[in-house]
Amino acid sequence: MGIIYLMLIVSLVIALFFLLGFFWAAKTGQYDDDYTPSVRILFDDEKQSNTNTEANGSTEV
Amino acid sequence: MSSKSCYHCGDEIIGKSHTFDNKEFCCNGCKSVYQLLSDSGLDSFYSLEDKPGVKPAASNDYKYAFLDVENIRKKFIDFEDDKTIHITLFLPQIHCSSCIYLLENIHKIDERIQSCQVNFARRQASLVISRELKISELSGILDAIGYAPNFGSKSEQKKKRNNKYLYKLGVAGFAFGSIMLWSFPEYLGIEEDNPEFRNFTSYLSFAVSVPVILYSANEYLISAYKALRFKSLNLDVPISIGILALYIQSAYNIFAGLGPGYMDSFAGFIFFLLIGKWFQSKTYDSLSFERDYTSYFPVAVTRFRNEEESIVEIDQLEIDDELLIRNMEIIPCDTILLSDEAKIDYSFVTGESVPIEKKKGDFIYAGGKLLGQKSRFKVEKESNRSHLTQLWNEAGSEASKDKNTGDKLSVYFLLAVLIIATLTGALWFFIDTSRVTEIVVSILIVACPCALALSKPFTFGNTMRVLGRKGLYLKNTSVIPRINTVTDIVFDKTGTLTTGSSNHVIYDGDELSQDDIHRILVLANSSTHPLSRSIVSYLKEKSADNSAELINFQETGGEGIEGIVDGLEIKIGSAKFTHPEAHTPSNETASHISINGTYKGRFIFESEFRPGIWELLNELNTSFDIHILSGDKNKDQELILDHTNQLKGILFEQSPKDKLNYISQLQNDGKNVLMIGDGLNDAGALESAHVGIAVSEDIFRFTPSSDAIIEASQLNKLKRFLRTSTASKKVLLICYIFSIIYNIVGLSFAITGNLTPLIAAILMPLSSISIVLISTLFTSSNR
Repeated sequence: MGIIYLMLIVSLVIALFFLLGFFWAAKTGQYDDDYTPSVRILFDDEKQSNTNTEANGSTEV
Repeated sequence: MSSKSCYHCGDEIIGKSHTFDNKEFCCNGCKSVYQLLSDSGLDSFYSLEDKPGVKPAASNDYKYAFLDVENIRKKFIDFEDDKTIHITLFLPQIHCSSCIYLLENIHKIDERIQSCQVNFARRQASLVISRELKISELSGILDAIGYAPNFGSKSEQKKKRNNKYLYKLGVAGFAFGSIMLWSFPEYLGIEEDNPEFRNFTSYLSFAVSVPVILYSANEYLISAYKALRFKSLNLDVPISIGILALYIQSAYNIFAGLGPGYMDSFAGFIFFLLIGKWFQSKTYDSLSFERDYTSYFPVAVTRFRNEEESIVEIDQLEIDDELLIRNMEIIPCDTILLSDEAKIDYSFVTGESVPIEKKKGDFIYAGGKLLGQKSRFKVEKESNRSHLTQLWNEAGSEASKDKNTGDKLSVYFLLAVLIIATLTGALWFFIDTSRVTEIVVSILIVACPCALALSKPFTFGNTMRVLGRKGLYLKNTSVIPRINTVTDIVFDKTGTLTTGSSNHVIYDGDELSQDDIHRILVLANSSTHPLSRSIVSYLKEKSADNSAELINFQETGGEGIEGIVDGLEIKIGSAKFTHPEAHTPSNETASHISINGTYKGRFIFESEFRPGIWELLNELNTSFDIHILSGDKNKDQELILDHTNQLKGILFEQSPKDKLNYISQLQNDGKNVLMIGDGLNDAGALESAHVGIAVSEDIFRFTPSSDAIIEASQLNKLKRFLRTSTASKKVLLICYIFSIIYNIVGLSFAITGNLTPLIAAILMPLSSISIVLISTLFTSSNR
């Protein structure tokens, strides 16, 4: 039966961990814009270089 | 007729198209954006969405020069070090996923831009650029690809969504979930056998409930305390009584070793209430309803002093300063014209897009946009004292509008609860004296108007969203009850009932041959000027073929356009531009035509009433009193009277002040006025009216401060919008009935002494969730 006390404490700690995660997410503005990231993830990866490679790096969708 | 459309912006191509890479474009601007993008390897811009481009507007080289003045520059950048500058810009043209793609890959166009992150909801881009790139150049690059940054007022861009409710909600949700978990044995009725374990979970529940009452619920308690201190009541008073009764009773149970009490209900209760608050606080981030005159005026202008030219911010201008205003710049204060003549476009102020000609020595009000040659002006009044800005100061404060109507309800509610509690207490005194406190407390708990408090935010919040989807954007939910009490509707005419641009075209002059019509069409099509667009749409129907070659095209700002089409020199523009020798000034808006130096005739433009506007006025007339106020001369009076019947009032030549006074007069007669206008000259009236709705062709651009913004194309559906808004009243009533039924059920448990924590834990979420469902379903079906 004693184990149940430990389990309760552990569950509380885990829940607290998630609460802190939520605070962090809200604080870093992850709930500010719920549209852009959903679009951004669909963009094709292109060569991320600043040395203007020729246009053949781009892909046709 | 071919109906090709531009590969970049999707506009119809009239006349010879501009071809590049086998793609067809409507104008040079679009073509050059395409060239730039394809050179930079950004072709995907065109494959993500069909024809996503924005036609770049004409601009001048000096437009962004003010950004290089050190103390102005500092105001706009977020952060800088030796190598980089971080800056956030408001780009109102962002409208689709291709825009996001383009802007986030903008480093391919200019490698001095290191990164860019778009916030679509706020139409903002956060850029990191290297120090070699001036802010003015950056703005120029963005402008060239069609995303002109808006430097309006800084406060507008800086606003950040308030995360307060999110944090509070997180805490309450955390406590709610945890306590429910620990109360599970309690729900199953197996707790009695193990008092030690039961005490342990009770104390845990108490521990997590402390932040809920101190942090999550503090707003309700503070608001109730304030109300009581000022000897008034609001709905937060009965809520706070319920919360406190619930909390104190539970805490007592826990410390007396009687079990966890109602802590689960308590945390859930706060959780649901906060969801309502959070839902209500969500508004349209990218729209601004609070604009004052500073957002219309340029940030800085060019000043001459002691023969020296410098760029200064407008609030540093003094009387008798000399200003240099360039083509397309806005005049920031009341001034006197020093140059010989100038053309001023007052469309931001009056809604009338036809420019007005001014002569040397004329007094010029602030807010006009200069067209054509750069001109000099002398400051007569400082910017914040100008005629226009005075209007804002006179309109009075917003506070008087928000008279709380919910107060009566809370008074009745509280009275009923107190009476029931007293009577029941007295009754139980005779039945079982030891249980009186417990019963009275449980009555206070169950009577807490949680569901009632949720009805309003959800009903109004949903109504606001339904309206927003259809093109009427409300500032916040408190506008809805105000709309529902409107008795009189006042319309501005120019720009509101009529379209802002002069669309209706009449030709007056020598007969034009089919070839000539064709040549004029091709030339006019090369210009983005609104009058050129009107000519194009007028002539399009009259011309069959459209593939002539245009060379030597030239546009003179404020004057006209010229070019050689099929070997003939065509000029379209002001009378002075086309035939300087026979120039007689007139009041009408017209574009004159000359072909090879011979004067042909003129196109006369008249403003056009919006489609469906007469039907709207007549529909509204059945339930409201309609008034029309116009700043113009009364040329359209007969037209309006022909199409409508029994308007309450129709007045012409109304100054902004007259409009404001007219509204105040109506309000003094006890009317609730809905004002619909568009220009800055309506700003005072919009502000002082019960509800002010600004009409806008482009909702992200210039609108005077108002309670709501409506898309111009949706104005004819106003009646339906008002009906949707009124329907919310019925939904609210249904919600009230439901929540009162829940209260009665709960009370019957409490009065009979049967309100166990388990029943409370079932009843409370059930009522909250069903209210949310009812209000969502009904408001969404009511369209």
